[in-house]
Amino acid sequence: MALATPARPAPSPPAKPHRHRSTRGAKRARWDMKYSPYLYIAPFFVVFGIFGFYPMLRTAWMSLHDWDLIGEHTFIGFDNYAALLQDEYFWNSVVNTLGIFVVATVPQLALALFLANLLNRTQLRGKTLFRMAIFVPNITSVAAVAIVFAMIFQRDFGVANWLLSLVGVDPIDWDAQRWSSWIAIAFMVDWRWTGYNALILLAGMQAIPRDLYEAAALDGANQWRQFWRITLPMLTPTFVFVVLLSTFGGLQLFTEPLVFGNGNMRGGTQREFQTVAMYMYEKGINSLNTAGYGAAIAWALFVLIGIIAAINLAVVRRTVK
Amino acid sequence: MSVIRRRTRLVALAAASTVVLGVAACGSDEGTGDTAGGKPDKLVIETFGEFGYDELVKQYEKDTGIKIELRKTAQLNEYRPKIVRSLATGKGIADVVALEEGILNEFKINPTNWADLTPLVADHSKEYLPWKWELGKAADGRLIGLPTDVGSLAVCYRSDLFKAAGLPTERDQVTALWPDWDAFIETGKKYRDKTGKGMLDSVTTAASAITFQVGGDIFYDKEDNVVADKSAAVKQAWDTSLKMVDANITAKTATWSPEWSAGFKQGTFAATFCPSWMLGIVQDNSGPENKGKWDVAGVPGKSGNWGGSWLAVPERGKHKTEAAKLAEWLTSATSQVSAFKLKGPLPTNLEALQNPEFQSYTNPYFTDAPTGKIFGGSVEGIQPVHLGPKHQAVKEQAMEPALRAYENGEANAAAAWDQFIKDAATQGAF
Amino acid sequence: MVAASARLWKTSPLTYIALVIGVLASIYPFYYMFVIATRSLDAINSVPPPITPGDAFGANFQRVLDNDAANFVKGIVNSVIVSTVVTVAVVLTGTLAGFAFAKLRFRGRGALLLLTIVTMMVPTQLGLIPLWGMMQELNWYDTLYAVTVPFLVSAFGVFMMRQYATQAVSDELIEAARVDGCSTLRIYWNVVLPALRPAAAVLGLLTFMDTWNQFLWPYAVLTNDNPTLQVSLAFLSYAYYTDYAQVFAATAVGTVPLLLVFVFFGRQIIGGIMEGAVKS
Repeated sequence: MALATPARPAPSPPAKPHRHRSTRGAKRARWDMKYSPYLYIAPFFVVFGIFGFYPMLRTAWMSLHDWDLIGEHTFIGFDNYAALLQDEYFWNSVVNTLGIFVVATVPQLALALFLANLLNRTQLRGKTLFRMAIFVPNITSVAAVAIVFAMIFQRDFGVANWLLSLVGVDPIDWDAQRWSSWIAIAFMVDWRWTGYNALILLAGMQAIPRDLYEAAALDGANQWRQFWRITLPMLTPTFVFVVLLSTFGGLQLFTEPLVFGNGNMRGGTQREFQTVAMYMYEKGINSLNTAGYGAAIAWALFVLIGIIAAINLAVVRRTVK
Repeated sequence: MSVIRRRTRLVALAAASTVVLGVAACGSDEGTGDTAGGKPDKLVIETFGEFGYDELVKQYEKDTGIKIELRKTAQLNEYRPKIVRSLATGKGIADVVALEEGILNEFKINPTNWADLTPLVADHSKEYLPWKWELGKAADGRLIGLPTDVGSLAVCYRSDLFKAAGLPTERDQVTALWPDWDAFIETGKKYRDKTGKGMLDSVTTAASAITFQVGGDIFYDKEDNVVADKSAAVKQAWDTSLKMVDANITAKTATWSPEWSAGFKQGTFAATFCPSWMLGIVQDNSGPENKGKWDVAGVPGKSGNWGGSWLAVPERGKHKTEAAKLAEWLTSATSQVSAFKLKGPLPTNLEALQNPEFQSYTNPYFTDAPTGKIFGGSVEGIQPVHLGPKHQAVKEQAMEPALRAYENGEANAAAAWDQFIKDAATQGAF
Repeated sequence: MVAASARLWKTSPLTYIALVIGVLASIYPFYYMFVIATRSLDAINSVPPPITPGDAFGANFQRVLDNDAANFVKGIVNSVIVSTVVTVAVVLTGTLAGFAFAKLRFRGRGALLLLTIVTMMVPTQLGLIPLWGMMQELNWYDTLYAVTVPFLVSAFGVFMMRQYATQAVSDELIEAARVDGCSTLRIYWNVVLPALRPAAAVLGLLTFMDTWNQFLWPYAVLTNDNPTLQVSLAFLSYAYYTDYAQVFAATAVGTVPLLLVFVFFGRQIIGGIMEGAVKS
């Protein structure tokens, strides 16, 4: 995971002593220099420690128990994890999460790259307006997006099926099959995030020195060649960043499939689009007495995100280079 | 406790800006059930589906000066966790909570969550259907629920669509169309041939109706073991449902889905199974423009009961005495009759059932169907069915998804059955 | 030079067509939402979908307001309180810690910064279940504390401010202030905070929008009695699934504040996101 972290700051050299007017002032100043930084970073670490780190540990602890959130709990070792590995519904949710992630992310990144490339044209008029317009979906709440898109993807009167009917496609019962539900959910995700990613990629593109292109142009490379030979390779770090962001978000997918499935935590009659996060919620919060099992699912999700992030990094690094 | 207190203080220190939150209520008002101090300003009543209380609470507000907040949740699967959480935490807890028969037994496992109504209300034990009254008591004898309604069974159908399909439209003739389930399926086939559409909304409403019709043990035996895999009621409901799907007589609109609610208006289907409480839901979904198009006919086979509820008062509520009074008033004979007239829930109060206003009532929305007579006539014959603690969960999270999977062609019969039995075991555990 | 790059990055009509299609796809769901919100109940069922707004918004929204159980107005007030408090706190703690990490020397700085960055990668859902239990024990369930206190700090905020402070605050200025006998806290307040203002503003805007839109956690710990806007929306849509006009009217009203923020500050927000992307 640490692979993704930016360069570590250089180890700090020992603080240079300063000359001060009075020794008392100097003492105070030295104390200030030495200890106050801890005070400044303390709020973050204290609050994060209590509400971020401690619950994580407690999740681990809970996952070793048969735990009722409002009742008793007994230690059962790794039984929850053993059960999880056997749990068909857990693996189903893993498949769904990864499936939706791929169906959503691949077109999203391609589209974002395409949009970023368009927005990167120097003579483009109305730049700011275009940027704002493609970004605006990102400011809406997931709950609102899901309510609106749930309507758009209705079987009998939704806009999506109406558009399809114009080209002669029969109405699709979006939430009845795995593939169609994945596509519908991917639409919601992509609608919200493509513009955001396009802007980040655009920022990366603008940081590429212009003279590289000019030199290539003198060599007779056309726009496409320039794109493949210069833009893409130079964009690698930004692309890695975007892929990682999408991975973290995509694997924790929750609200879109939930509202798409009418608020049912099951995610479709056959759990066609129940994600790991939904399954965790079903076990951990909706039925309070299986919270320990839910906690095990939470850790499994964490591990899954780690694995996928590592794979993504490896793949992106290799293919782009 | 002191550890928790200390932690609270630590956090409060760490986050100095919480001070700003002083305006927002920080819940320290533990509900103690202390009812001294006279009238509450407001009582909250939590319901699901449609109880027909909109007008009644307005009247109660006028009569008593107490403001009533009427909460609604459409589906039980959203409603149940909400109640569980509020009981567990004591937060967001309503003063009066409606409990449906499918979830009642789960809540009876911990009867101390609920106020014993016996000292709080007058003795009504002889005023209701005896079995219904008895079910409102927990194992320890405390009275936790006052009876609201029973379901009974009927079929709601669109006479205009039946006419277009060349079927009879008059309710007695329609009832005569389906003396049994095979005949019902045959009618559905005719409808499909003529219109190309599904007659019934979804196979799951039929399955519900059949399980209750057959009765006996449904998902649990009397000792509350899950017996979904060997229950006669389930078997019959399952087989008949599969036959319906094979005959292609449904419109495949899942109950409570947006397609379903829109389907009432758009005529996506022409019939649905209507316990009495469903009338209000059919009416709300269909809208005023479809008034007079719906009608009510009898079910195939014998009568049965599907659904019905009780009103309970949480022990941790702040105004238990006043809450009990409200529940008592809402379940009284006159209130039950007016709720019935407004949205259909069928009275359980014997006086209400004898009330001529009830008996002679014809529902103008449903082509003046004599719903008082249709439903009231069958009430006496209703036999209580034993429902296990997680009846509703097994029904909604195991049986119905499996049936829907078969209906949508996602699973074959064997796979759907396996899925059902597996889910029944997990969902049924308590 | 300019001519050369202009040739390389030609803007053809196709560019505009493609962008306009992208913009329409972005805007349409908003437009659809406002159309349904202003129409009577039947509009949602009509095929093809309605494209012009109606005049029923007042009536639709009145039903939202009349709906005691949804507690919509309280939801908005709560959302304003929570978003504001969280925003102020995240900016303050972020700039303070960012300043310390960027400009002050202390033992363990590198390790602690790395730790901060690592925490950004921890999925929030990992602690969800015990956190729910903690809210219970603290008696914070159904209070605004539950949706505020855990979010008063943000690793992203600390990191973003640290990156910005490294460049934007000159060491000379700090050194000069120090020679004048300023304490580090004074330096923070008088020198660093003003210099960080543009970045802090972006962090504040992002935090505000993010908090406003939070759904999963508030829905788990709040009830009808004390909802945030998004929770109120959820209760509305579960109870009034037949009344889309009402649900959409509420959704539209809940979206307007963010659209306004975006109209006024969109340029800064986008600038901030793009800048942040290059720096990290």
